[in-house]
Amino acid sequence: MSSDNLPYAADAESPLKEAELEVLRRQYDREGQYVSIQTKFNYAWGLIKSDKATDQRYGIKLLTEIFRDAPERRRECLYYLALGNYKLGNYAEARRYNDLLLEKENKNMQAMSLKGLIEDRVAKEGMLGVAILSGVVIAAGVMGSFLYKGLTKRSL
Amino acid sequence: MASRSASRDPGRTNRTTTGEDDASLLSNALTAVSNTNISSFSRKVSSTAGSLIGPFSDPGSHYHNAMSEVSKDLKRPSIQKRVFSFSKSSPSEIVRSKLSATEISHRALTYLPDDLLKDIPENDASYSLFQGFKASVDTGPSKKHREGKNLLEESAGGPNTVTRLTKERDRTNEELDLLGVRKSIASGEIREIDRKIAQLTAIRGVVLERLAKLEQEETQLEHDLLELDNKIEDIQYDMVEEGSPIENEDAEAGFMSESIYSKLPSPKGRKRQKRKAMPILHEHMSPGSEIKEMQCHADLITALDFDFPFGKLVTAALDDTVRVWDLNSGRSLGQLEGHHASVKCLQVEDNYVATGSTDATIRFWDLSRTDGPSLPGSNSVTHKRGPQSNQEEDFEDDMSAISSQPRSAAGTQDCHLLTLDSHIGEVTALYFQNGTLVSGSADKTLRQWDLSTGRCVQTLDILWTASSTAASEDSGWSFASLGRSNSRSNLPEANADFVGALQCFDAALACGTADGLVRLWDLRSGQVHRSLVGHTGPVTALQFDDTYLVTGSMDRSIRIWDLRTGSISDAFAYEHPITSMQFDASRIVSAAGENYAKIYDRVEGRHWNCGAGAEGGKEDRLSTPAIVERVRAKEGYLVEGRRDGVVGIWTC
Repeated sequence: MSSDNLPYAADAESPLKEAELEVLRRQYDREGQYVSIQTKFNYAWGLIKSDKATDQRYGIKLLTEIFRDAPERRRECLYYLALGNYKLGNYAEARRYNDLLLEKENKNMQAMSLKGLIEDRVAKEGMLGVAILSGVVIAAGVMGSFLYKGLTKRSL
Repeated sequence: MASRSASRDPGRTNRTTTGEDDASLLSNALTAVSNTNISSFSRKVSSTAGSLIGPFSDPGSHYHNAMSEVSKDLKRPSIQKRVFSFSKSSPSEIVRSKLSATEISHRALTYLPDDLLKDIPENDASYSLFQGFKASVDTGPSKKHREGKNLLEESAGGPNTVTRLTKERDRTNEELDLLGVRKSIASGEIREIDRKIAQLTAIRGVVLERLAKLEQEETQLEHDLLELDNKIEDIQYDMVEEGSPIENEDAEAGFMSESIYSKLPSPKGRKRQKRKAMPILHEHMSPGSEIKEMQCHADLITALDFDFPFGKLVTAALDDTVRVWDLNSGRSLGQLEGHHASVKCLQVEDNYVATGSTDATIRFWDLSRTDGPSLPGSNSVTHKRGPQSNQEEDFEDDMSAISSQPRSAAGTQDCHLLTLDSHIGEVTALYFQNGTLVSGSADKTLRQWDLSTGRCVQTLDILWTASSTAASEDSGWSFASLGRSNSRSNLPEANADFVGALQCFDAALACGTADGLVRLWDLRSGQVHRSLVGHTGPVTALQFDDTYLVTGSMDRSIRIWDLRTGSISDAFAYEHPITSMQFDASRIVSAAGENYAKIYDRVEGRHWNCGAGAEGGKEDRLSTPAIVERVRAKEGYLVEGRRDGVVGIWTC
């Protein structure tokens, strides 16, 4: 896969205009049950680019369908699934797909940059988690100490 | 990265060998999820805390090191994978994935199992999905292109021409690439559609099989119903008969004609069963596909007819037998015995059969008096589909089984209603409708019969009428044409029947004769009111509807006459003499000395071949199929009888 065959993660962050997405959706609806892979992908990619979580989820669902139906597109789908899940904040899934893709194509620039992004995000949220957790621990400690104090006071 | 993939590889091979073990392990892992979750969570906290503390260390590699330490403890691959995936996610994600209902359902919907993920083939598509996306979203390149052309013309003499033109060239190149992508999208879509069509065709085949099975069951039930009806009727009849037994005997002995009268075909007659269900299977099969092949006789089929698709078939052959068949099961229902010589023409209408024989008699039968299918074991061969290697031997057994077993013959022994025996030459053509039967014979007469009395009501002498009407109206050419056709020795008409075919409707009668003429009679006056001249050989087949009359002849041609004007509206010829023909609104089916039936599609104006010998037919036949002698077609259901006694059933 050459470098311009896959979009970078930044591309996924720029949502389409409502009208543009509408065009893709209409095309997808019009082809009905026998929708072609390309049309399905176009709509799915439009949805992934959207900034609404519901759209992104539906986009991932469509991509999953493409993955199941079209084995020849699986490799590409891996990247989009990783990207979509990354946007949704499902880093475990994103990593699962992205790592698989990197395993197949270890020189894939887009996948490598996505890997970096995922890890940054996980680290950031990890920090946040530590902060929250430590906050909770401190609060619990304070509460505990108060209770303990209260108990010891009452016992006295 | 390389180290990790190396460490995974043995794990993968291990998994493939212990595939079943893996499934149970997975469930164990699932129950252990909450535990591992918490433990991995704590581990992550420590590792991320470590990355905070350790300055300037690459978080990725640090993380990786931490994880590889953990993975050493976990030998089993699936657990390894689980822990990996959980440890890779952020805490907020874990909380969300366990608590939010929409999140859980979404995950269930979009989860891809590992075996799907493992199966990722090389991508050999000429364009990527993203290129396709860009190509379909980016609209209006042609407009740009046109603009570019204008630009090109305007700036022909300008100073910056070279740079501008280079830019233009690059853009055009891009557009060209885009067009290439679009082209491959389109061709890819076509391929995809082809694949889907193939899938749908396969599904259609399955459903068709189901339909066939349903129709089999339907026929069986239909038959059971009829049997029950008959039993009820018999019991009721017995109850009535017990009251006056002597009187009844007297009546039968004294007034034979009356008893015949009671047997007569009348619309309200007993046992005129109306089928509840009509078979539609053949309508869903592609034209020209084989439904069944049956070895009905050991000799040339001289006549055949059937009542409706998948109904009853009556065949007559040079072996002097007339047999009745159930088209649905392919089983023999018995024989119609009584003729002393072979039957040359027959017609089936509802349950009634008329047969005209070379013994100069016509017999009239009622098929509803059969006992239904004969012993199922006695002719198990014939209902098998396709050609069989031992068909011939089985056929002999089959024939002996039929003749040796009185029970199967008893199935049809009550069928005989009438014998009409005024002709003095072999009966070569007949047609009946609404209680009137018209027959043509080698004695050069046509006779009209009243089926309610069994009497001949009119005799039409063809030559006499022809000469008299010719003298009065047609200035003698029809007689001359007789002589003309006789003088032509190159045509195989020496063995042609004098009356090749006839059909009547109310008082209108059409007959085709060996002199190549088609005469239209008025049965009320007994006169020929029109002769259609054109065929140069004996007419062997004839049929008309309200507008057209179609004739087939030994001169190899089929002519379609317009009855309103009396002139030819269409005609075409095949390579061999026409031996049999039938038409309906959409097609003309004929037997023309080939080992397939010729079909002329009247809607599309197209000729095509249908049958065992047609191209595209089965290649695995043991021997070349025999020449088709007789054809019959109704509602796209074609039955053809061949010279070797085989009857083939096709869709057309």
